[in-house]
Order: sequence, then structure tokens, then C-alpha cells
Amino acid sequence: MENQRLELSRLYARFAFGPMPGQFTQSLTAGFAVSAQNLLNTSVADPQLDSLLPPSLPDLGNRPSQADVAASKAFTKALQVQAMEMTMWWLDRMAITHNPLLERMTWFWHGHWATSIDKVNFALPMFNQNQTLRANALGNFRTMAHAMFHDGALQIWLDGNDNIKGAPNENLSREFMELFALGVNNYTEDDVKAVARAFTGYQAVRSTGVVTFNPKRHDTDLIKLFGSSTPLDGDSAVDLIVSRNENVSFIAQRLWYRFISSSQPLESRFGIESAFANRDIANTMKVLVTGGALSVPDYSVVRQPVEWFIAICRAFSIKPSALKPSTLVLSNLQKMAQVPFLPPNVGGWPTDEAWLSSASAQFRIAFASLIAKQVDFTSLNAVSSEKRIDYVKDLLGIYSFSARTFTALTNAKDDLQQFFVLAVCSPEFVVNA
Amino acid sequence: MDTISRRKFLQLSGAAAVGASAAMLSLEDIAQAAIARPLPLGTPIVVVVTLYGGNDGLNTVVPYTDSLYYSLRPDISYKPEKVPPLADGLGLNPAMTEMKSLWDQKKMAIIRGVGYPYPDHSHFSSMAIWQTASPISHISTGWLGRWLDSQTADPMLAISLGSVPPPLFAGAKRSGSALPLGGLVVPSGKLGMRCQTLSKPSLSDSPLMASAATSMGSLFNLSSNVTSVLQSPAPAAPDLPVTNGGNAGGDTSLQQQLDLVAKLIVAGAPTRAWSVSLGGFDTHANEANAQAALLGNVSYSVSRFMNQLKGSGRASDVTVMIYSEFGRRVKANASQGTDHGTSGPVFVIGDRINGGFYGDQPSLSKLVDGDLVVTTDFRDIYASILERDLKADPAQILNGWKGRVNLLYKQ
Repeated sequence: MENQRLELSRLYARFAFGPMPGQFTQSLTAGFAVSAQNLLNTSVADPQLDSLLPPSLPDLGNRPSQADVAASKAFTKALQVQAMEMTMWWLDRMAITHNPLLERMTWFWHGHWATSIDKVNFALPMFNQNQTLRANALGNFRTMAHAMFHDGALQIWLDGNDNIKGAPNENLSREFMELFALGVNNYTEDDVKAVARAFTGYQAVRSTGVVTFNPKRHDTDLIKLFGSSTPLDGDSAVDLIVSRNENVSFIAQRLWYRFISSSQPLESRFGIESAFANRDIANTMKVLVTGGALSVPDYSVVRQPVEWFIAICRAFSIKPSALKPSTLVLSNLQKMAQVPFLPPNVGGWPTDEAWLSSASAQFRIAFASLIAKQVDFTSLNAVSSEKRIDYVKDLLGIYSFSARTFTALTNAKDDLQQFFVLAVCSPEFVVNA
Repeated sequence: MDTISRRKFLQLSGAAAVGASAAMLSLEDIAQAAIARPLPLGTPIVVVVTLYGGNDGLNTVVPYTDSLYYSLRPDISYKPEKVPPLADGLGLNPAMTEMKSLWDQKKMAIIRGVGYPYPDHSHFSSMAIWQTASPISHISTGWLGRWLDSQTADPMLAISLGSVPPPLFAGAKRSGSALPLGGLVVPSGKLGMRCQTLSKPSLSDSPLMASAATSMGSLFNLSSNVTSVLQSPAPAAPDLPVTNGGNAGGDTSLQQQLDLVAKLIVAGAPTRAWSVSLGGFDTHANEANAQAALLGNVSYSVSRFMNQLKGSGRASDVTVMIYSEFGRRVKANASQGTDHGTSGPVFVIGDRINGGFYGDQPSLSKLVDGDLVVTTDFRDIYASILERDLKADPAQILNGWKGRVNLLYKQ
């Protein structure tokens, strides 16, 4: 029974951004197998999510001349507004969706193909990339790799526009193999140079991310890659890369690292690599969820700031964009050092201990205190104060509270705002058991 | 952009856990220690400056008399008349005027052609190698972390600026501390008391939960006895010019970081090793302006730092080392930028340093796969610093390494 509670706590925290009200107690009755099956089915009717309007992102075109001060200012403002609306739209989706695995996987792939609006500048290409990631999030990795190669934001981020026959730019080529598909040391320096040549000639429009192929800039000579020489374009090179055996173990390890444990190695007994043999992501996630790893006590993970915030929103029915002022969420996520569409580098965000500094503890308490003022505590208030600790434990999907946390919550059980802050800042919530 | 990516360098390179977890300090903690137990005058102090992204060494120390330099990178080379000359046909990037003056005062050593064996062009692997000082096998401790392991436990001994400590400070037993820029604000009143309850260790904690509790607890380990030595919080980070090299990590506020380090050194902080960083050197495109802006920032910030130490009695105690994970490809790419390369120059600055060139300049006519050769192993520099500044046995910390940069230090 306790083991079931651990598995369910991990199921919701890691694959669903946390349970919605009532969901965790229902799952305790229904059991892990049924709950996992429900989570893995991502075609639940979701009228609320369907009615969420996507951000309005008209093509802003080229940056006006700096001489035109008024136009430049308006342009910069429009860039900021679009980026903010897009980010809040995604956070809203994470918080209200009834198919949370799909958003959770989109979030995972965003960290995997980590692209930052800091260099891309325009929201529209980032939005298009986000839709591509969502469309392929539980599909086939080979299809995703092709779609991402043709993704404008990624091309801009890794200097694809500058990759031209005769003078290749290796940025996209190297990161494609090192960080996206194969892992470091699973290719040679000659492979980097060869793939860069195969990737020549693709051009992205900065403001829209539309990618076109310009044959005049493409290297049509024979290219020697992985031992054989043929003419190659981007898609044929992507095919060769994804066909490498190393792709299987690399992606399996990345999923393991983010969903199960960043400190303990992937174990073959869980069958995750074999599940990914044909690059089927949905099937691999099924094995990751149901293959037994969730019941091994060692594998705890720290919730990244976005995951921590969304879990709170889901438990307390908060729509992020409804929090006031409109800058509250993003300015606090910025302090906690994790804002969607703004990964720190092409390697994505860090894991675990990196989020456990005193600085993060301080920013977490400050953010939780600000949210507390806007939470609707009606249902928490309706629970008798003796039962409040058990209630919030199930509401947040926490495995168990230690005696220390129980004491802290008991001291605050009649001050609902502080009770809330302490519960969501407790080590047992910040770290998923 | 707030960057917390350095720990990532180790994780992606395959090294497992990052040693012991790091404590987070507040300005008040360090001020308190500076008052209670100041570092004795005359104790050497090391400041490590990491340039993230791969700084282009050939446009930092410029071979302006070599015709190959101009033929290999016609669009991004500096014309001879623009380059302040150093010696041996080499000159400094025109943006580095303040560091040129340190060179003229013979306080700046430039070690040429520095790198590690079997160059790897990955940011993540290269940075992991530089920070662990282990080029062949992946290990999870940093070179200064292993020095910390050999010292008496003291959270003040090694401090990095920014909220995530770099891998170079990760030891097996203990790690350097981190000082977030901007200072910490601690919850007070009932919430503060209850948060302290929440931060007590519990037997049922997993290691990560224990870290979460500890990190909250150290928020409250403050002294009420702090004087006005360091009360003002650090200024906000000034925005850097937009660059094209921004996707490989590092902090952007070098001047702010070094201002704070200077202030703490002058105050007497019992700290022997400091780590600061600047990101943005991954100049695959439109390199000239971006790199010049960054190097100008390095030059100004470092020389300002040295000036702030004057009159404190500690100016001659400090050694500054500036390095990046790799240099860049000799031949320019089509986007007025350069791709990942191999060796590059390392700067070592201080009153006790014999200014001048060390190591051979890699020849532009003898490239290996289009890259510069490595003429000096990076561990020679670490060994000299460990021996001369930190009074440690380099062989113990650097897996038996025997090389040094000869005559780098005076006497």
C-alpha cells in the first residue's frame, strides 16, 4: 500500500505536473495500474483547454531602422508583449490540461532541443517550434528529428542561416549529434564536419521561422559520413544520425535522467532502451511509467521551478495568467532561474541539487507568499484543522511528511496562507520522493 | 538572462554526482568572518575567471605580422596598425587597452597555446576537462575542489559568485560556497520561525530532501552582529551589448562580480580562492564586434579589480587567472565567425607574476585538422598556482602531474 502511494506520488509529480483536486485520493482507491493507464491515454476530451485562445502573434517583420526611435521602441515593446503572452499561454496549458502527459512531454522536449528566445528574438518561430514539439511529443523520434531540423527557431539559434557551401558553420551539426541525437563521444570530428556540409543551404526567415532550401548554397559534393560517401542533404543526414544505435541508448538515458534519476544510472532491467528501439516515444513512456522504476526508493528528483509552480496551480485550481499583477509569474520564475522559452544554454536546464541553493529557497518562499494571497482557500478552510495536514498531503500528491514538517504545519494550521507556504516549500514537496 | 548552467557542464559530460553539495553564503556571513578571523596579510589569494563559450585566442593575442593570419581569416582579422603590439610579432585585441597597460607594467603573463591532450570540440566536455583537470577519465571533482578536500573544513575558503557553484569547486568531501549576486532576504517573524522548523534535518529525508532542508536552513544561519562593512547589496547587473555568442553558459556581470570580490578581499574575507565568470564567447557568427565587446569588458573589469586592491595591503597577494574551454578554428566560417577549435592563450596577472610570454605560439602553418596545436598543457598552470599560491603539492591534486610554467612567479 505504501509502495502504491510512492508510485502514485511519482506518477503525478513527474509525468503530470501534479494532481488536480481529488485526483490523488481517487487514484489511491483505483490503484496504480488504472491510474497509469489513464495518464498514458492522452486523448481525453478537454473543452476547457480547447477554449484557451492561442497567443496572437502577427508577423512583426524586420526591425525598423534605429534612426526611427518611435518605431524601434514600439517594435521592442511588441517583441516583449508577444513573448510574454506566449509564455503565459503555455503555462496556462500546463496548469489546466486534462492530458498532462502531453504538456509534460512538450516541456521535456523543450529542454532537450533547448532553444532560447534570447537569441531567436521573435515569438512566432518559438511558438511554431512549441507546436512542433507538441505534435511529436509522443510520436516517433525520427519524425521529430526531421521536423526539428526544419524548425526555424532551431536553425536561427544554431546559426543555420550562416551554414553555406565552402564555409560551413558547424554549430547545428555538432549540437545535433552531441545534445539532440547521439551524445558526446558517439561521433567523430570528421562526422561533425560532414554533417555541417550536409546541412548547408537551409535558410530561415527570422521573424517567422519559415525554412526554405536554397540549392545554390548547398554542398552537392560527395560527403563521407559514418564510413560511406554519398551526396547528402539535411534529411538524409538526419536519417543516418537517427539510425545509429547510439541514438537508442542516448534518448533512453535522457528520458531516464529527467524522469527517474539524474544521479543513478539507467538500468537495462526496466526495458527502456528496448522500448525505444523503433524510436516510438509513447511506447517508451509507457515502459518508463509501468516498467517498475517508479517503485525503487532511491530515485528521488527535485521539481524544477516551472514544475513546482505548475503543481501548485493544478492543486489549487490557479490559472497562471489570472495571477496579478500580470508580471508576477514571470518575474518570480526569472528569479528562480527558469522561464519557458529561455533555457540558459543549448544544453537545457540543470537538475536536482542545482535548484537547492539558499537563494532558490529564499525565492521559493517569496513567490509562494505572493501566490498565497491570491489562493482560494474555501475548500481547505472547510476541512477541520485536525485533518488539514492529511488533506494537503493528498491534494499535492506528497508521499509522506516527516515529523519536522508535520510540526511546522501543525504550528501554522490556523493561518491558511502560512500553512500553504510551508506545505509547498517543504522538502517533501520540493523534492519528489 | 540569468544563467545557471555551469553544473550542467559536468553532468552532460557523463560525470555522475557533483561531489559534496555546496553551501550558499550571504554577504553578512562573509563580512562576519572577515571581522572575526581576517585572512592574514600576505596570504596568497587566487581569482579564477572563466570565459564560457570558447574564446577566440587568435583574435585575443593577435599574430599581426603573420601573413597566414590574414589569408586564413580575411574578414575577421585585425589590421596591423590597429593592434597594440606586445612582443614577438604578437599584439593584443584593440579592445583590451587596460590589460595592455598591465602588460607594460610587467604584471601580466600570457601563456600561449594552452590546451589539453586529444582536443574535444564540445563545450561541455572541454569545460568539464578544464574544471576537473582530468582530460582522460571523467571524474566528478574539480581541481580546486580537491585542494579544498586537503584543507581544514571552512565554507569561506573558496567562494564563487552567482547562485550555482561551478564544478571546479566541487570536492569529494567538501565544496566551495556560492554567493548569489544581490544578497539574500530572509523571512522573519512567525513565518521565519516556522521555516526554520521546516529546515531541520529528518531521519526520513532522502539525500535530496536533506539538501532541500539544509539550503533553507542556511538562510537563517546569520549573525546579528554584523557591522557596516558590507551592508549595501550588490548593484543590479548591467546589460551587456547583445552578442551572437550567447548559447553556451556563463554569467554576464563580470564587473559586478569582481567589484564584490575586491570589496570582500579588502575587508579581509578568509577566502583563498574565488571564481567568477563571463559568458557569450561562442562566436559562430559576426564575431568581431561581439568578441571585442566581451574582451573589453574583461579588460576593464580585471584592471578595475586590480586597482581596487591598491592601498589595501593585499594587492600583491592576489593572482588572477583567465581561461576559456577552447580556442576557435583558425579559418573563419562564412558567417564572419569561427567554429570550435583547440588551444588558446591563458592570462595570469598579479604583482608577484613575471610579466611576459610563456609557451610557444602555435604555428599557423602547422595546423592539425585545421586547428592550432597545443604547446602548453593546462595542468602546468594549475600546478604552478597550487604550488606557489595555495602551497599545496600539485602531484597529489593533479594525479601525479609534474609540469610547471617555469619562472612564472617572481623569486
